[in-house]
Amino acid sequence: MLFVEDTPASPYAADWAIKLSQRLSARVFALGVIPVRTTAVEENTWRRLYEVEDAAFEQNVRVSLLLETGDPLQRLCALSASYQIELLVVSADTRLRTAELIRHSPGPVVFVKPPQEESQS
Amino acid sequence: MNLSDVKSGQTAPAPQVGALATLLPRSAIILELKSRNKEGVIQELVQPLVSTGLVKDESGLIAAILSRENLESTGIGLGVAIPHARTDTVTTLSLAFGRSEAGVDFASLDGKPCHLVFLIAAPEGRKRDYISVLAKLSSLLRRETVRDRLARAQTPEEVSAVLEQFDAASGR
Repeated sequence: MLFVEDTPASPYAADWAIKLSQRLSARVFALGVIPVRTTAVEENTWRRLYEVEDAAFEQNVRVSLLLETGDPLQRLCALSASYQIELLVVSADTRLRTAELIRHSPGPVVFVKPPQEESQS
Repeated sequence: MNLSDVKSGQTAPAPQVGALATLLPRSAIILELKSRNKEGVIQELVQPLVSTGLVKDESGLIAAILSRENLESTGIGLGVAIPHARTDTVTTLSLAFGRSEAGVDFASLDGKPCHLVFLIAAPEGRKRDYISVLAKLSSLLRRETVRDRLARAQTPEEVSAVLEQFDAASGR
């Protein structure tokens, strides 16, 4: 499960998840969660999800898009459990409360940061 | 994924695409789809785009859309599917719409058949506009009012009017 957010490192997490899925012939579930439904926020979240989908398609990786409304941490953990997700991929600059995510996640969590040269620039 | 957009820590602003209704020829609005499977529905929706001269290679476009369908479900749930492809078999960013009372299986994650199907085809070079249209449609179609109005529309003009009304409202 890839958690898609509006943070600078989120696209790197997406790239990492897609490359890993390609090597493992695995499927990516890309999840965006909006706390409250407003048209602009929802549209932007869909845009980020479709960017992930487009990148996955180009790498021949299966992907499913999910957009949910509610508490992001709660929805991420609940959906990961219901889809029996084996790995959660989250950007290192996530807005989620990481200690709680680790405590409540049904499986391992990987935090992805940008490559070294990117994070130093 | 375009990482250059985020190197500065900023996401590029969303591009301005034309109003959705202007991308949807009236002849590409099918109020009752005949096909009962997704392959047939995709062929049925591509046909009017071919007739209007927007498609250079009909079988190439169908193959591009089906290759995505084979890799991912374009059923977004709530009875809606948005099959799509970016391919130079089309001359311009185009939409087609079809409605099925019986419903069509697009392997949506919620397991429900799809009654409203929007097909999107865009040339390779229009990636940002294509993604914007996908995002805008997905957002609009999650609204129950929009789905209800599209389900009840009696003419292609009414379908266009629903898109115009809600598309304009979402841009405010």
